[in-house]
Amino acid sequence: MALGQDTVDRIRASAALYPSKQSAILPALWAVQHEQGYVTDEAMGEIAQHLGLPPSLIEATASFYSMFLLRPEGRHEVVICVNAPCMLRGADEMAAHIQRRLGVRDGQTTPDGAITWHSTIECLGACGGAPMMQVDHRFEEDLTPQKVDAIFDRLRTEPAPHEAPKPKKAVAVAPVKGEKVRSGAEGARARGRKTQK
Amino acid sequence: MAAVQVDQVTVSVNGVSVTVPKGTLILDAAKKVGIDIPIFCSHPKMAPVAVCRMCLVEVEKMPKMQPACAVQVAEGMVIRTKTDQVEKYQKGVLEFLLINHPLDCPICDKGGECPLQDQTYQYGPGASRYIYQKAHFDKAVPLSDKIVLDRERCILCWRCTRFSEEISGERELALIQRGVHTIIGTFNDEPAQSNYQGNWTEICPVGALTARQYRFISRPWDLDRTASVCPGCSMGCNIQIDARGNKLGRFQSRENLAVDDSWLCDFGRYSFPNFQRAALERPRIRRDGKLEEVTYPELFEFAADALKRAGAPVAGWASPGSTNEELFLFQRLMREVLKSPHLDHRTAAVADTSPEDMTLPIADIERCDHVIVLGGQEVIDAAPVLHLRLFKSQRKGVTVHKVGSGEGKAALDGVPAEAMVVGILATQANRKQAAELQDQLARKVKGSVRRLIVSIGPNGRGAVDLGILPHAGPGYAALNGQSGKARWDWTHAGIKAFYLHDPSPLHAYAPTEAEALWLSTLPLVIHHRFKASPLDDVAQVIIPARAFTEKNGTVTNMEGRVQRIGRGIDADAVRDNWRVFQDLANQLGAGWAYEGVNDILQDVIRAVPPYEAVNRGERVLWAERA
Amino acid sequence: MGLKPILTKDFGVENLHQFGVYERTGGYTGFKKALEMQPDELVELVKKSGLRGRGGAGFPTGNKWSFLPKGMYPRYLVCNADESEPGCFKDRYLIETSPHQVLEGVMIAAYAIGANLAFIYIRGEYLPQYEALESAIDEARDAGYLGKNVLGKGYDLDVILHRGAGAYICGEETALLTSLEGYRGEPRLKPPFPAIKGLYGKPTVVNNVETVSNLPHIVLNGADWFAALGTPTGKGTRVWCISGHVNKPGNYEVENGTPIRELIEVHGGGVWKNRKLKAFQPGGASMMVLLPEHLDVALDFDAIAKAGSMAGAGAMVVMDETTCMVDAARRYVKFFQHESCGKCTPCREGTFWMANVFDTFESGSARQSDIDLLLDIGYNIDGRSFCPLGDASTWFPRSVIKYFRDEFEQHVAEKGCPFKKQAVEAVA
Repeated sequence: MALGQDTVDRIRASAALYPSKQSAILPALWAVQHEQGYVTDEAMGEIAQHLGLPPSLIEATASFYSMFLLRPEGRHEVVICVNAPCMLRGADEMAAHIQRRLGVRDGQTTPDGAITWHSTIECLGACGGAPMMQVDHRFEEDLTPQKVDAIFDRLRTEPAPHEAPKPKKAVAVAPVKGEKVRSGAEGARARGRKTQK
Repeated sequence: MAAVQVDQVTVSVNGVSVTVPKGTLILDAAKKVGIDIPIFCSHPKMAPVAVCRMCLVEVEKMPKMQPACAVQVAEGMVIRTKTDQVEKYQKGVLEFLLINHPLDCPICDKGGECPLQDQTYQYGPGASRYIYQKAHFDKAVPLSDKIVLDRERCILCWRCTRFSEEISGERELALIQRGVHTIIGTFNDEPAQSNYQGNWTEICPVGALTARQYRFISRPWDLDRTASVCPGCSMGCNIQIDARGNKLGRFQSRENLAVDDSWLCDFGRYSFPNFQRAALERPRIRRDGKLEEVTYPELFEFAADALKRAGAPVAGWASPGSTNEELFLFQRLMREVLKSPHLDHRTAAVADTSPEDMTLPIADIERCDHVIVLGGQEVIDAAPVLHLRLFKSQRKGVTVHKVGSGEGKAALDGVPAEAMVVGILATQANRKQAAELQDQLARKVKGSVRRLIVSIGPNGRGAVDLGILPHAGPGYAALNGQSGKARWDWTHAGIKAFYLHDPSPLHAYAPTEAEALWLSTLPLVIHHRFKASPLDDVAQVIIPARAFTEKNGTVTNMEGRVQRIGRGIDADAVRDNWRVFQDLANQLGAGWAYEGVNDILQDVIRAVPPYEAVNRGERVLWAERA
Repeated sequence: MGLKPILTKDFGVENLHQFGVYERTGGYTGFKKALEMQPDELVELVKKSGLRGRGGAGFPTGNKWSFLPKGMYPRYLVCNADESEPGCFKDRYLIETSPHQVLEGVMIAAYAIGANLAFIYIRGEYLPQYEALESAIDEARDAGYLGKNVLGKGYDLDVILHRGAGAYICGEETALLTSLEGYRGEPRLKPPFPAIKGLYGKPTVVNNVETVSNLPHIVLNGADWFAALGTPTGKGTRVWCISGHVNKPGNYEVENGTPIRELIEVHGGGVWKNRKLKAFQPGGASMMVLLPEHLDVALDFDAIAKAGSMAGAGAMVVMDETTCMVDAARRYVKFFQHESCGKCTPCREGTFWMANVFDTFESGSARQSDIDLLLDIGYNIDGRSFCPLGDASTWFPRSVIKYFRDEFEQHVAEKGCPFKKQAVEAVA
């Protein structure tokens, strides 16, 4: 599947933005994943062409980072942290609940293709809201079984983030005048951060 | 030129004081006083990366042990490489390297010449405490048609990936994944295309990258090693012929900084099967239309009679894959004994090289500020290791202009007038253009302009120097109107007999259609060759010849460096090529008495005095003589 | 001592992430004031303030700036927002609540070092925070605070926001630069240090999110004001992340020198479920464990180091009496194994080996000798690996063996985790 024009434009814009075009590799990979949901070898080859770099370099970089999906997964990605700070607050039990609830094991996708879940030892930066998980890269904290169930019910019917009607801007590209995406920042507000007294 | 002033520093290694130039690595300072520090990732041709951590040593006043491969000495540094801490750690790091290593040394081609194996014996722990599941990876991955990769044996020293980035610049090999799952590979596991892959196997400090041709062929300790020169092209890369009995095992590189910078191309390295002898043949003659085996005395008697019967003129062709000694005797046989000026060595109708074509030594490419590669990839294809020198030069700041063979003008415009040292590289086919460009550039730029023409075959340069040409004698001696006919004209010159000396499968006589027809009508063809060929059918005399790997002698590379080749394979039953010339000449009444190639070489030097450079391993300096 | 909101003083203000709101709280006045000063004056000011880097190593920020070689341009300011230390979530909080404060700090630092291009490298998992910063940068550009001739002062500055993609190692400053250049995020040899040869081979300063967030306040209130806060060698405040077995996990900005006891017992609400404190870790996953006897140690780089641990990035992980210390160590070791970049042998192989050994304690097949084996593997990693990731992978487990060796022995004797058994028995 060849890359869409919008993605190609983003890759080219990134290449122009940085002092070195090689710096555009991560933004390009994000742009591809944003469009296609994962990054194929074919897409890496295309990135290499657009950036004028050897394709081995793209694969070397893409495979180093844990967030690029190299094969198709479910419409929604659910990642639960089981590192020590989360473990202390019941992450293992919550992971067990997720497994029971979704009926598939760590790393697998539900039969309806809606959700791929996995646990990670990589801290996701929400130890204060443990147990926590990221759903399509958005934080869900202070999890309870009920809260998890409600989230899964929602995900079962929602389209994949990259196929949603209004795609969220998720890649570093040359800022375009007049284009403003505020939803993220407001979203962050909406989820009641811990504030000190 | 005044001696370059280099700041010296004095340091102590295990109590031994050593003075080295500033910027020297601890590793090299220790080596200078005979102290060996074990390494895996460090390589003298590559920037230090300090990833394997094998070489950590104690440095006084530094809290942590330091990587000797990456830390430069400083005045007064006190270094210790044999303390309890260092030795305990060396055991530790080797134990680390082995926890995920398959330890399949008994079936590994590297066994016996494996730094990991050797250093484990020397510095490692006696036993491993690792009793857990190893991380498993793919074994016997075909990385290309030449190389097989064992990902379990890989210790991630990065040498091959750095070669791909820093030495060849192709960036074909890369690290993929991370952490303990890291592997090396090509993009999408596509077959590697590089022409320099053999070097990966040589620099690999374990049995991860091995040559498919050498797979399960031999143990290194069963190999006889002979110093020689690569027969692939006119670069003259130094090699070591590894053979077992009469079987060629492989060609390995043998560093000559001035020529190959320690690398080989795959074309040359993997050309060795071409030189593998199938059988020890005996000479044959054709009597009543049938070939029959004869003894050498019978052969020379028959051949001499046949030559006499055929009468003049005789033509002779000798391969640019022959040695100088062979060529020198060949031209004596032709000129002095058979009284014929019709001799040639050329494989294609291109302009001959001259001494001006080698005024730019290979190593000086690095010292130019602009280098024009006239013909671009053609030049690289003709001498692939030149690419590595050019890439190295580029990394050092040399501007390399690769232009098509008709684009001399673009190259001329690309070099600024203030350029001080300019070089031109071209193949023999573009020699005339290169000479013109040199003249134009010389008028334009401030500094000097020199050129280097890639000659044909491992000794095309020597063949010209020694006069294997119809129009020049040894040392470019003029023939005073006695020139013979060139190869292209023999078909219609009334030639009566033809001596074809064809010992090199890579630079063989390839007849044109007209020549093939001509050969079939000739009364006498003496075919002195290494391997059976269709031309045997038109020959009345077939003399087995020794291949490049079966003889001693010298060859002259494109820059005029006269280097010795060595006899890596025993083929005693086949008479040495030079001796065949001598025996035939003597049968015809010559009375030569050479006892070996060194005798001939002395005559070569007498005839062509610049060739005494061979005694110093230097280049033949014609220009200086002129 | 105690809570001292400086960076977080306006964090209760609604919509602080918006440019207009931030300006109304006095935002960007620090940057405007900085633009009236000479860059050198700013460097001196920050040196005098005593501000130390908040990313973990605690290096004096002004000194770091002054290492840039004179006359070498371009040079770059890179803000390290790759917060990934387990236990640490303060940068996320600072970014999402007040992205403009981070940006203002980046702008001041860039101006001080003479950079015309700055980068913010944010970890891939922080997507909402990425979007918050992206909006902030757009707003600042629209307002003329970024771009050519900033606020008519003849200074050009732009900021590129760069999103990582999941690699803890990229928090190490040289790995961050390598990653920003598009390569695998592997650390680089030092020397040369980034100040001399950093991003794209140019002089570069890397500063943490919390570090730069301090800058607007230091510029506005002066070096003396800042230096009067905190301890003699640890000026100012820190935003501490407290997590684990406490009643009120979260971020709390306290003055340096506040006792650990106050952070845990007062701000963190004390150990949850009325249980007893067993241990705590003051600097995130990397740092050595401390015991209740260390509760009166001050929250300060030097005081914590003296107690045998490190303040690191300011993450307090609290463990109650029911915690299996072996399992906690196992998680961290697995984390480091997962995050080891694979560049150097001791870290790549050593963390893998340690993780395997820890699994046997959990599964019940560990032997008594494996406790010392862990120490020995640690000995061969710590101080031998290429970058601090390998070193740090050994600190917590070794400190746990030091203080809780009996728990390891119990795992061997009982062929498995005694704490898990207890839990099962309790349920049954």
